[in-house]
Amino acid sequence: MVKITIDGKTTEVERGTTILNAARDLGIEIPTLCDHPELTPYGGCRMCLVEVEGIKTLQPSCTLPAGNDMVIHTDTQKVHDARKFILSMIFSERNHFCPSCQVSAGDCDLQNSAYDESMTHWPIMPNWQPYPVDASHPFIILEHNRCILCRQCVRACGELVGNFTLAFEERGADSNLIADLGLPLGESSCISCGTCVQVCPTGSLIDRWSAFQGKETELDKTKTICLGCSIGCGIDILTRDNRLVRIEGDWDAEVNGGIICDVGRFHPMIEERERLLTPMIRANGKLKAATWNDAISAAAQKITNSKGKLSGVASTRLSMEALNKFKDICDAFDAESISTTEDYSAISAVFDLAQSLGTAFESKIDEIKNADCYLMIGEDTTKDHQVISFFAKRQIPVGAKLIQISDNSTGFDHFANESLTIGKNSQSEFIEAIENLVAKKSSDIDKIAKSFKLDLSSLENVVEMISSAKKVVIIFGSRTNYDNAAAVLDSIISLKNQLNGKLVTTKGNINSVGASAIGINNVENVVGSELTIMALSDEELSQSFSKKFDKAPFSIIFSSYISPLTANADIVFPVQNWLEQGGHFINADGHIFEAKAALEAPEAVFSSEESLSKLADDLKVKKQKSWRELVKETPAPVTIS
Amino acid sequence: MAKPTVASDWLAGCAGCHMSFLDIDERIVKLVELVDLRATPITDFKVPDEKGVTVGILEGGINNSHNEHVAKQMRARSKILVALGDCAVFGGIPAMRNFFTLEESLKRAYVDTPSTDESGMIPSSPELAKPTLVRAVHEVVKVDVFVPGCPPDADIIFYVLAELAQGRMPKLENNNLMWN
Repeated sequence: MVKITIDGKTTEVERGTTILNAARDLGIEIPTLCDHPELTPYGGCRMCLVEVEGIKTLQPSCTLPAGNDMVIHTDTQKVHDARKFILSMIFSERNHFCPSCQVSAGDCDLQNSAYDESMTHWPIMPNWQPYPVDASHPFIILEHNRCILCRQCVRACGELVGNFTLAFEERGADSNLIADLGLPLGESSCISCGTCVQVCPTGSLIDRWSAFQGKETELDKTKTICLGCSIGCGIDILTRDNRLVRIEGDWDAEVNGGIICDVGRFHPMIEERERLLTPMIRANGKLKAATWNDAISAAAQKITNSKGKLSGVASTRLSMEALNKFKDICDAFDAESISTTEDYSAISAVFDLAQSLGTAFESKIDEIKNADCYLMIGEDTTKDHQVISFFAKRQIPVGAKLIQISDNSTGFDHFANESLTIGKNSQSEFIEAIENLVAKKSSDIDKIAKSFKLDLSSLENVVEMISSAKKVVIIFGSRTNYDNAAAVLDSIISLKNQLNGKLVTTKGNINSVGASAIGINNVENVVGSELTIMALSDEELSQSFSKKFDKAPFSIIFSSYISPLTANADIVFPVQNWLEQGGHFINADGHIFEAKAALEAPEAVFSSEESLSKLADDLKVKKQKSWRELVKETPAPVTIS
Repeated sequence: MAKPTVASDWLAGCAGCHMSFLDIDERIVKLVELVDLRATPITDFKVPDEKGVTVGILEGGINNSHNEHVAKQMRARSKILVALGDCAVFGGIPAMRNFFTLEESLKRAYVDTPSTDESGMIPSSPELAKPTLVRAVHEVVKVDVFVPGCPPDADIIFYVLAELAQGRMPKLENNNLMWN
């Protein structure tokens, strides 16, 4: 611990704490432009200069570690003059005319800093050099004229997301933000996670969809979780007048630490599916609008008549409450099966193994954040469950090794130390072979390389990387199909145990774990039942999935959007989408989250839980066990808490 | 003691700041009690008194030789010079043309606009003022009080004038400074 005094307040801080952070702890505000709490201190903008007694020149507080008995002043004329001078220089560098900027009047760190220093004008006028505007990206506009060269975006792209798309070219006044080696952003390796937009302190990186739709103070903010995949990233949903304006990562969220992917940030902005707004009943071959009462009665009658001959399909995007209600209805009428919308054999294998072991065998997603060797198997996590891939990719520059076993090319191809192409059917055998090599049970590496058609040197490298790693994390992307999924999972677990490593599987949707934990884990869909009840929520289902139910004799569907499935259905109920309804969800980590509604639903469109309750009440279905009780009884692949 | 005198003029701006000045509504009566309003572009008397005024106000940036002359004259004839609004303080919207060459801007204005036919030509009469780079007032003459805003709020304009009328220098900071 070291003792420091800032503006007359004395405190003790850990050795290595920066003056900036020490001041923040004391409640003393030092302005910054290039600093971000989640990024490594950079010392680029010089806005945080402070006076240190005994040091001649002003010092940047963001990079200066506290020394014992340091006496610091942040509120002297010298400091304020320096800040004003720095701001004058930044304002004069490019086009910083506030009236025509989308972040003006509250959302701009540069403008706010100038206000704080009571700057009425710029002593140095701009040199009127125009810079290009890059509008090639579908979600992001890169407005070079507003850039202050703080490099927060570059650091976020590398340090937080591990994608290293953004960088700077040239030096001094010619410095310019570029994507890759100077490609338009829309043609670059950018994965559209939008983290750069979220950290940009000025109007240089703009999100197309929310631009000019209001300052942050004019928007309502709902802190909730993203329902895009099983990770359940913390997000803030910003709305105005019941309209979605923007989605941002929540820096305080434990699982993702503020980083989200394009699925969470931008895809909800481009939702183009048509909403269902009224219940419908098929009459004379055509779906016709009906009242809730008529539709509920018709559905109840069909269900009562089909007792024992019906099956249920539930979306794993449904909340625990809705799933519980759905299960109650299906159980009360002796459903032949209750399956989910996730028909992947690997997901099924993961949940089956938990059942048969009776205990959790997976680690928390947090373990990915600090491993030194990653083994990627299964689905391409750069496309799905992307935040997991960010955690792994950002460890590469600090020395972590990344190995992938895949049957085709993936987004890891450019990042992996070794990409091993192994057919799906031989992956379990191959993983066993690796285990034997690492355990030195087998020494015939040459023969193994030949039989799997691999370079001997690659295989040797893989064995060496795995053997010498301190912490190996195996990431099994389970949203994939294997003929022998159970065998693949067995071999993975065996390798994990041999390496004393960690295993994380991606599992699928936000509530896959929750559905499984209350007993809805039958992945194989029964399609021939006399009646199929489907609670689809707002899930966008694949063509192949929808096609399976083409010939369902009779189906009752709860859905937010019109889809091929609802077009074929016999009774359709509209339900709220994820932005409109709350509820509990259990993520891939086994963490129970409560999601909050951010928007009001259209008239007479209820949540999935409310809609299913209406049906259950009409059917006089008694509430069985609550989902919390069921979850306690059922073994899951991760500890649920 | 005679009342302090005030004169104003507009340069490369949109007159919006003067409109905002009129937005002080009935407070103008109070202001006239405090000051003697002399030449302004919206009164009959257009040129500041030769013997000088206490406060000179300029709206708009300086974008040609005529503006330069007006600014210099106002400076010479006022004790305190106020730059009113973003154009006077920074160059503002007119200064956007500085990102292009003068030739490009003139061609765009007189030849390329959709409302111009083939006969469009850049005016070149020697009687016309010579266009220059658009500059903030303080780049040409010394400015004593900067009142940014596009336009500055009527309340701020009243505050600034009331302070100056009573012999104090207005302090623009915090909420006074955040015009939007």
